[in-house]
Amino acid sequence: MIELKNIFKWVNQGGNRIFLLKDIDLTINEGEFVSIMGPSGSGKSTLLNLIGMLDGFDEGEYNFMGQSVKNLKEKQRSEIYKQNVGFVFQAYHLIDELTVYENIETPLLYKDFKSSERKAMVSDILDRFNFVGKKDLFPNQLSGGQQQLVGIARALISRPKLILADEPTGNLNSKQGEEIMELFTKLNADEGVTIVQVTHSEKNAAYGSRVIHLLDGRMENK
Amino acid sequence: MFKNYFKTALRNLNRHKGYTLINVLGLAVGMASCLLIFMVVRYENSYDKFQPNFNNIYHVITQDKSEDGESYTPGVPYPALEALRQDLPQVKTGALFCNFGCQMAVLDPSGKAIQSKKFVEEQGTFFMDPEFFEVFTYTWLSGSPKVLAKPNAIVLTRSTANRYFGDWKQAIGRSVKMDNDMVYTVEGILEDVPANSDYQITAVASFATLKNNQLYGYTTDWGSTTSNFQVYMLLPSAVKAEAIDQQLKALAKKYYKNEDANKRVNFLRPLSENHFDEQVGNLGNHSTSRSSLTTLSLIAFLIILMACINFVNLSTAQAVGRSKEVGVRKVLGSNRLQLFWQMLGETKVLVVISSILAIFLAWLATPYIKHVISLQEDLHLFTVQTLVFFLLTMITVTLLAGIYPAMILSGFKPVLALKNRINSSTIGGLSLRRVLVVLQFSISQLLIIGTIVAIAQMDFVRHADLGFNKDATLVLDMNNDSITRKKLAAFKQDLLSDAEVKQVSFCNDPPSSNSNWGTNFAYNNQPDENFTLYMKYADESYFETFGLKFLAGQGYAKSDTCTGYVINDCLRKKLHIKSPEDAIGKNFRTGGNPWKKIIGVVKDFNTNSLRETIRPTGIVSLKKVYYRAAIKLSSSNIIRSQEVIQQKWNRYFPEYVYNATFLDKTIEEFYQQESQMALLYKIFAGLAIFISCLGLYGLISFMAVQKTKEVGIRKVLGAKVSSIVFLFSKEFTLLILIAFVIAAPLAWYFMNSWLENFAFRIHIGFGVFAIAILSSIIIAWLSVGYKAIRAAFANPVKSLRTE
Repeated sequence: MIELKNIFKWVNQGGNRIFLLKDIDLTINEGEFVSIMGPSGSGKSTLLNLIGMLDGFDEGEYNFMGQSVKNLKEKQRSEIYKQNVGFVFQAYHLIDELTVYENIETPLLYKDFKSSERKAMVSDILDRFNFVGKKDLFPNQLSGGQQQLVGIARALISRPKLILADEPTGNLNSKQGEEIMELFTKLNADEGVTIVQVTHSEKNAAYGSRVIHLLDGRMENK
Repeated sequence: MFKNYFKTALRNLNRHKGYTLINVLGLAVGMASCLLIFMVVRYENSYDKFQPNFNNIYHVITQDKSEDGESYTPGVPYPALEALRQDLPQVKTGALFCNFGCQMAVLDPSGKAIQSKKFVEEQGTFFMDPEFFEVFTYTWLSGSPKVLAKPNAIVLTRSTANRYFGDWKQAIGRSVKMDNDMVYTVEGILEDVPANSDYQITAVASFATLKNNQLYGYTTDWGSTTSNFQVYMLLPSAVKAEAIDQQLKALAKKYYKNEDANKRVNFLRPLSENHFDEQVGNLGNHSTSRSSLTTLSLIAFLIILMACINFVNLSTAQAVGRSKEVGVRKVLGSNRLQLFWQMLGETKVLVVISSILAIFLAWLATPYIKHVISLQEDLHLFTVQTLVFFLLTMITVTLLAGIYPAMILSGFKPVLALKNRINSSTIGGLSLRRVLVVLQFSISQLLIIGTIVAIAQMDFVRHADLGFNKDATLVLDMNNDSITRKKLAAFKQDLLSDAEVKQVSFCNDPPSSNSNWGTNFAYNNQPDENFTLYMKYADESYFETFGLKFLAGQGYAKSDTCTGYVINDCLRKKLHIKSPEDAIGKNFRTGGNPWKKIIGVVKDFNTNSLRETIRPTGIVSLKKVYYRAAIKLSSSNIIRSQEVIQQKWNRYFPEYVYNATFLDKTIEEFYQQESQMALLYKIFAGLAIFISCLGLYGLISFMAVQKTKEVGIRKVLGAKVSSIVFLFSKEFTLLILIAFVIAAPLAWYFMNSWLENFAFRIHIGFGVFAIAILSSIIIAWLSVGYKAIRAAFANPVKSLRTE
């Protein structure tokens, strides 16, 4: 599904070239649950954003579902992205002005679902996450764990094949973190959703089927 | 989708109540001002447009070229009417004679004057022939233009007839007596003329009557022209005005005699120019220069621009706060265009809210406009044009205010946005915001300087030394017929018997007046001089009544005719007489009158408004042209004096209407238009300052949030409150100074050209600019101060913890 070959990414700072990613070779197949680990500044998030096509790269080859990302036009890229990718953030990134219901509904708006379809899909997922009673609350009325669940529900609503999670449990306590991880495992096992997560915690990384270690922008071979 | 955007928008506005309030207030005030100014401009432009032939009606103007330059008269010689009809058969030619101050006495069926029904039509009484109604179109409730073909017929408008006879339906066949002379029978009723017409017709007598009556000076002589006799043409659409102008030139040569033929021509002025032509003027109660309407429109545009600038400033400043939402939406699959429309939509929501408030504000203000610019009727807010205009304003404002912030916001890179890496420097709008603030301050300083200059000039005009005393002087309009003339001496005696009355003078005009009588003249047995002499005809008390000062010689003794001339110093200089004393005893004559001596020279006084220079003027006694009585009162009990004078008037002249005005009032009316403009400038400059303060306040509160960390660090490092406040103020002070450098020369240029309308004017000094810059800085500091001080006093521990 994801095929990265010799990926380099750098920024120029005061005449020096600072590498964010160096020579990344990575293949992730459909249905995998991959954890990316590494210390702060090792390039984990950069790699995740790159996989999610939110960020570009300077050298190398990236094929997403058999298509070369580099050669795609902005519009096609965003189309592929919209159809296949859901993002989950450490800081949840819910829209403060929208209710739980509206936050979850938002991705559907950008995919031109009809109002009745949207309604059905959102109710469905609210049911699944036991959020029916909270659907009219605003993000700041929820606990962190609840907010992250809304974030995951929002990522799942458009039925993506790939979920990219950037330290999804980073702001949560361990019990909430466990719940999220179990949810990911279940999604991966039951629905075959490919999951790539960035994490600091060995324990969370262990939920994945494969762990990738990054250091200073390089993949460490273990 | 739309619903989602709409909800986000409303909740966002609700969350940032302060910014919303500032934006809504600014936009609402701006849009309301714009709307009001539009209504005024539209109304001024609507004059006489209801005439179906508006675009094809032309007014025949007379132009005289002389050494003094060109002068224009709205009138033509009486015989021109027949000549034009004969020589230009392809056009319809109508004429009107407008007589101001006509005494109208309503007669009862038996032919006796009703005491309580005496009127003077303020807008004049008209004489017209039927052809006039082929050029201009009016609605006839009864009768037809044909009735004006016969002598002694009169047509009244509906409300005039109601006023005269109680009910217009009963007016036909009744009679009025005009100027205590001729009796006219009411033969027709016209619908009232709309207020937005410069031809405020109330009573129209048949032109045939005027021809037969010496009272109004009808003559077949081509040599004399009165501005009251005007000719209008309706051109068929195939005929060009230029072609007629050519023919008029030829006709001038054919008909004007002697030297007139060389210097006098006629030309056509389109009716559309009528309301705005200050050179020729019009018969209406006010003319408006196009330049003042342009200025007003410009002010409206500037105000709305300032409100938009506020909006752009505040939204780009706020953009940092919105960056997360933009990032999230992009990650969720929104593209740039969708976000662009969303952000523009939010602007639209705000504009709609502001519009509602704006309409409400305009609705509150509408009834007052007519007093500010002295219109005769109420303006209407809810007309198709104003609503269309308002919609256009809304769209323009949305685009002007919304596009830039929407572009900035929708362009955020999601990764940066989500990492909170977007701040005011990455937006890059800081320099743009500075430019906008400078622009805003330039506009408000331009308006401040303009207002100060306009007010100072109007103040100067009001208190200028006119060279004579205008205080506590009551001027009565008089008739001048043989019966009146006989009673003058007794009337004067009676008035003077009152201790409150200091002096009484009969004259044709007070020293300063809008209209002047001009004549050719000769000095020292020479042939006629080549410039015009302006005449004041007055009795011997004139000099004392108005406090005119003699430089040499003295006034004349009581006489009904000319015994000797008093001239002003301006004439003395123009004739190159060395000293006032040298003029005394020299021969002098006006027109073809016999030579008389110059017996006095008076110090210059303003013969016209202060817009014009002092004219060479002569003063003589000539009883048959005294149309006014000037009564100098002691200022102790003016109200009682007025009552006494009116009682005496009614005793002496029961058949005439008592019509008195104070001279200082009349003189103030010369500058009505300027005063109104000054008032409008004041109002709108105030609004502009208000809007720029709002913007500044919004911006500084944003800056305070942005600088929280900086202030915290500085305080931890030991900065004093005063230095923090200075940190906030110095940038704005600098921006204001830059704005001043831009605004000051512009303001000087505009106001200097405005002042050039006045022959007597103030000079724009350093003080005006000092006031403008100081007031701007003070206003800015006041709006910045509170926020700056609050930021400076904030506990640094708190502000640093949140980082």
